[in-house]
Amino acid sequence: MYWKFALKRVINAVIIYIILIFIFSALFNVQMEQTVYAQIDENIKMETMQLTDMKPDEIKQWAEQRKEFYYKRYNLDKSVFERVVIRATDALIFNYGNSSIIRSSGGSRDVRTIVLETIPRTLLLFMTAMVIDVLLGFWLGIKKAQKPGKGLDKTTSVATMVVYGMPSWWLGMLMIMAFAYMFKIFPSGGFVSTPPPPHGTWAYFVDVLYHLILPVLTLVIIGFWGRAFLTRNIVLSTLQEDYIMSARARGIPERKVLYGHALRSAAPPIVTMGLLALIVSFGGNIIYEGIFSWPGMGNLYWISVQQNDIPVLMGNLSLTTGLYITGLAVLDLIYGFLDPRIKVGGKA
Amino acid sequence: MKLAEMRESLKDFWGEFKKEKTGVFGLILFAIFMFIVIFEPFLLPFEDANTRWRDISYWQDWPKSSPPAWTNWFTSDKKAVTEQLTEFKENSQDLGAMVMKEFTFDYDYQFDDAPNDIIIHGNASGQPIVVVNIIRPDGTDLEVYQSTYNAGERPKDIRISVDNSSRDIIYNFAKKFETPEDLSKVKPGLIKTTNGIFAKAESGILRNPVALKGDYQIKITAILRSKADNMETPYIVLPGKVSGVLGTDSQKRDIWTGVLAGVKWALLIGILTAIVSVAIGVIYGVISAYLGGWKDALMQRVFEIFVSVPLLPVLIVLSAVFEPSIWTMVLMMALFFWTGSVKTVRSMAMQIKEETFIEASKALGASNFRIIFKHMVPILIPYSFSSIALFIPGAVVYEATISLLGLGDSQIVTWGQILSDALHSGAVLNGLWWWVVPPGLAIAFMGMAFAFIGFSMDKILHPKLRTR
Repeated sequence: MYWKFALKRVINAVIIYIILIFIFSALFNVQMEQTVYAQIDENIKMETMQLTDMKPDEIKQWAEQRKEFYYKRYNLDKSVFERVVIRATDALIFNYGNSSIIRSSGGSRDVRTIVLETIPRTLLLFMTAMVIDVLLGFWLGIKKAQKPGKGLDKTTSVATMVVYGMPSWWLGMLMIMAFAYMFKIFPSGGFVSTPPPPHGTWAYFVDVLYHLILPVLTLVIIGFWGRAFLTRNIVLSTLQEDYIMSARARGIPERKVLYGHALRSAAPPIVTMGLLALIVSFGGNIIYEGIFSWPGMGNLYWISVQQNDIPVLMGNLSLTTGLYITGLAVLDLIYGFLDPRIKVGGKA
Repeated sequence: MKLAEMRESLKDFWGEFKKEKTGVFGLILFAIFMFIVIFEPFLLPFEDANTRWRDISYWQDWPKSSPPAWTNWFTSDKKAVTEQLTEFKENSQDLGAMVMKEFTFDYDYQFDDAPNDIIIHGNASGQPIVVVNIIRPDGTDLEVYQSTYNAGERPKDIRISVDNSSRDIIYNFAKKFETPEDLSKVKPGLIKTTNGIFAKAESGILRNPVALKGDYQIKITAILRSKADNMETPYIVLPGKVSGVLGTDSQKRDIWTGVLAGVKWALLIGILTAIVSVAIGVIYGVISAYLGGWKDALMQRVFEIFVSVPLLPVLIVLSAVFEPSIWTMVLMMALFFWTGSVKTVRSMAMQIKEETFIEASKALGASNFRIIFKHMVPILIPYSFSSIALFIPGAVVYEATISLLGLGDSQIVTWGQILSDALHSGAVLNGLWWWVVPPGLAIAFMGMAFAFIGFSMDKILHPKLRTR
């Protein structure tokens, strides 16, 4: 039964991904093609410069031929609809073409290489923040739910609302100003020091960790209040269920009611909703990497926007969308697995 | 719902809301923001800031990257505050062949650290000779400037920067007080003119000037040799070391003005986006729940596609490619924000659908349209208001984020754009906190105001979450 549900969810995710890629391809087709035209012109110019033994009008004719050849090669002679379909299929098999300016650390201009090398760094940053965030939030949320309306609950609830509309990148700017420039405790940004310690050594690991502290700290400060508030609300509404009342009536100690009864049914939604909030924050906070020059996917958005590198922008968007959809699907799978009350496989 | 009923329930709601201290605090914050928007023309220190924010010439007289004036309270060494002198005594003398117009400004100098410059403005036409004298409290009369202007027939703004034009004069004045040995260490081309003007005439005036406090008179004399020559409406700007409520940025703009001017855009973006997206979301959810069957399933699939979009990246790419104005930006955000309320609305509408009064109106032959908009949507209005309030901060932050990347509407001044300028001019690196903190704080306060309001409404509407 669960496998049927899982398969259905995965297929669903794949279909959504395909539809979104098609929409993106159609939406940004014109801009993508402009860069292709520019690249073709550049190529032809380079080629004509190498020709020395030709008359001017011969060169002109030759350039026309080359143009036709390239247009054919990049399918620019086909109809708009066909071009969109070809572009979308290319994106679906992760073939994003070449960038116009940006190069990967290895010097490659292949967009896939450029984006792929940023993904692990982004995951490292957001996963670390997520783990700390959920643990802290869970702990604080239970504390809050134990004594609702009392001092701790009230103050932390107010803190939740204070950071509610605070941009994470702004807090990041303040943190850098305070802890990197005023008190020189942490580095102001980057992934490793320059020059980096030798790859794969203990020192390298420590160096990355050292660079990770400030961005993770900022994300946690912004995030964990919300997680605590959510935990509190879920635990509190569970505590008002009838079976909790009957457990209390039976004289079961409050601690046991909370940890044994309430948390058992409250844990799955807390975990999954915490994860959901973090996946959403991945979609909404990704830009924040740019403040810390953390060389992940978010930073790549900054660079590609500033350099106006459309192919990289599009490739990055496709892969971000893919990751995002995967995250949501995994979340649903975990949810279905953790909470047997959900009617998996049946009518939603 | 009848109007009277609505008023009654609104009254009940207000009675409950009043008890929520945070909610009331949020309302007060909101009222302050509204006050700023309504009285903006009277509050803005620079009237044309809204239209000329990016016009360098508009801000040229102001000091660069100067901290707020109130930082003086915390230092023993008082720095000159930026000032604009507009009051003057006018004295006209007809000498037959020419007319001498004298404008005398009083400047009460009580600081330890001199202003950066003395900038003189006036409207001139024809070919007036302009002479500037500074009469110091110790009686010295320094003629710091003299030149003939060729302004043309039309009145034209003339601008005299004393700092640049009178370095030699001040050097010659000051060198009398320094010993030859000290003087040899000073490069005449590098002295700070205003330091000399506002320093005690004693040894050290060029090397370690001690402020000479007191009343300075700045006298502008315009010598008019023909009928066509004229000079009028002079004013003086003294760009200080500190200025204004929140200082200035590296492009000499007044940050307080920028923050005030940003309030209306943040409110507009936030409220408009929230209302449009919640309206779409509520109607979508209700229709989906009410229709049921394959229509519901289809609508849920469409909804799923929208939910699966990573919002910020898509908004960034859309903005990078289409270079939006503020209105298209609101539209773009609403296009993706509406999904936020659909799930809750749908489940609520599912319950409402089963109520007997819906059945009754169906039996009476009411159309679907009527049932949805007359019977179901109104019940969800209280919920809509709380989600509108909670959507606003998100919209404000998203706009700021897009502006941070330099993709915002360049016709207006928003907090995100101020922060973007700060980031790209190295304000973080150079510790210009008065440039980084206020706009972000404003965003946070706006978020806070609506979070307080929204969460308080939520609490009243979902009694289950209430504290025992």
